[in-house]
Amino acid sequence: MQQLLELKDIVKSFGPHRAVDNVSLSLKPGEKTVIIGPSGSGKSTLLRAVNFLETIDSGSISFEGCDVGYRQIKGKLALDKPKNICKLRTQIGMVFQHFNLFPHMTVVENAMEGPVTVLGTAKEEARAIAMSMLEKVGMSSFADRFPASLSGGQKQRVAIARALSMQPKLMLFDEPTSALDPELVGEVFGTIKQLADEGMTMIIVTHNMGFAREVADQVVFMENGSFLAKGTPDEFFNQQCQDPRIQSFIDRIF
Amino acid sequence: MAALLVLSLFVFGAQASPVVDADALMRKANDIMVTGDLEAAVKVYLQIPAPGPEGDEGQFASSRMQAARLGFAVKDFPAAIAAVDELLAVYPENIEALQFRDSVKEAMMPPWKRLMRDTVKFVPHLLKGSLMTLLLVVFTMIISPIGGLLIALGRIGNFKPVSRFCWFVIWLFRGTPLLLQLFFIYYGLPAIGIILKPIPAALIGLGLNYSAYLAEIIRSGILSIDQGQMEAAEAMGMSYWQAMRRVIIPQTYRVILPPVGNEFIALIKDTALVSTIAMVELMRTADQLFNASFNITVLGLAAVIYLLFTTVFTFTFERLEARVGAYEKR
Repeated sequence: MQQLLELKDIVKSFGPHRAVDNVSLSLKPGEKTVIIGPSGSGKSTLLRAVNFLETIDSGSISFEGCDVGYRQIKGKLALDKPKNICKLRTQIGMVFQHFNLFPHMTVVENAMEGPVTVLGTAKEEARAIAMSMLEKVGMSSFADRFPASLSGGQKQRVAIARALSMQPKLMLFDEPTSALDPELVGEVFGTIKQLADEGMTMIIVTHNMGFAREVADQVVFMENGSFLAKGTPDEFFNQQCQDPRIQSFIDRIF
Repeated sequence: MAALLVLSLFVFGAQASPVVDADALMRKANDIMVTGDLEAAVKVYLQIPAPGPEGDEGQFASSRMQAARLGFAVKDFPAAIAAVDELLAVYPENIEALQFRDSVKEAMMPPWKRLMRDTVKFVPHLLKGSLMTLLLVVFTMIISPIGGLLIALGRIGNFKPVSRFCWFVIWLFRGTPLLLQLFFIYYGLPAIGIILKPIPAALIGLGLNYSAYLAEIIRSGILSIDQGQMEAAEAMGMSYWQAMRRVIIPQTYRVILPPVGNEFIALIKDTALVSTIAMVELMRTADQLFNASFNITVLGLAAVIYLLFTTVFTFTFERLEARVGAYEKR
């Protein structure tokens, strides 16, 4: 089957520091990849590079079989025209650690914003889409509330509905539960699990081993910008791991 | 013959005597006045009789005016009025007496009544002047947020030439007095062939100056919005401008409204500066009326009108602030 997303030899440096160092990763449609690793290992940078919030220094990104996002100009990679970037982003939903809901819009307006402003969907239709997505994350009864009145877990579920209302082909989760109180992690985790079960393709960057174990088809352990290990959750959690660094990281988490 | 002479002398004397008396009384009264006994002097002045058919060389008129002035000086207003009325009974057209009577009447008026009269007299002119002030304020309030937003966006943007140009505009118009800018636009631009009427000159000056100030306020408002908002907007496929228009700028209102309200209140008062480039607005009107009447009430009334404007603005902005920030309340 054709790969939905293929990252090849991605390199990204911040000054002398190599945040992402020659990393490759591919996802088939419906596949779920969980990236784990200590802070500062480059997981978020890699994830953000997928929808061009971060530009890469070299490597290539292909989406549905086509190289996208960059052009070669005088031997250097340059970001494609903003119009093309925007178009790609409509197909990739992103959920942030700090939710980043639009505080001046109600819950349903947040979820309508993408379809209305970006896709030009008629308001009534967009509202219907938004409401069905809010229904899916269990937030439809909060449609007319402002984000300030919601708990962290509720905010994150709305953020997921907002991303879903664009009907993306790929969802990126950037530490979706890291900013939540422990008792709120469950509801967000449940929502993501449900999405995964429906067959959504997703990349999740997290410290939460529960995601890795229950959701992932593929687990990647990242440190200092490169992949230390890649495998199925089974290989990661059930067998004796050869690499002591993975072992010690997992031990630290549990 | 002798008897006839005596008789004729008597008759002559009888005829001449009032004239002589008047002179003497006048001198006597003046002498008493010099000593400072004003009341006694008045009594003597009032003894000078009304002129006969041949007139009295003005003694009567002078004496009554003098009595009136002295009455006014010792604040015995009814006595002053009585003296002037005596004079007016004989010479109804005497301008000095008529005007003096008005002055005394005014002095007799209670303060509140005088204030009422001044108000009725000056306020229509002042209101006419404040129409121009209002026009300047309203137009500047429309121009400067647009100009300020454009300058702020230019300054924040990545395109260096525009960013530098916007920096320069802010630097120039924030760094020089508004008065100087108005002078340059109105008196200086004709030197390079641009001749502006006062109203456009004033609007350009106020518009540029306030755009520069608002640009910095708007810029700080935009920078105060969390970076994640722009990322979230861009991640769903919005262009930079869509994100600005739909997500970033609406969130700045809450932050920038208090300082913008402050600027607009400063603007109301700064419009007074355009009176220096031949514009007749509230300040200029007040100045003209004051110079014509030397009545300080004019300036007080102008102050009240300015306060009225600023008060309305203050309350309007307070209500706007409450509404615009409502979404942050739980």
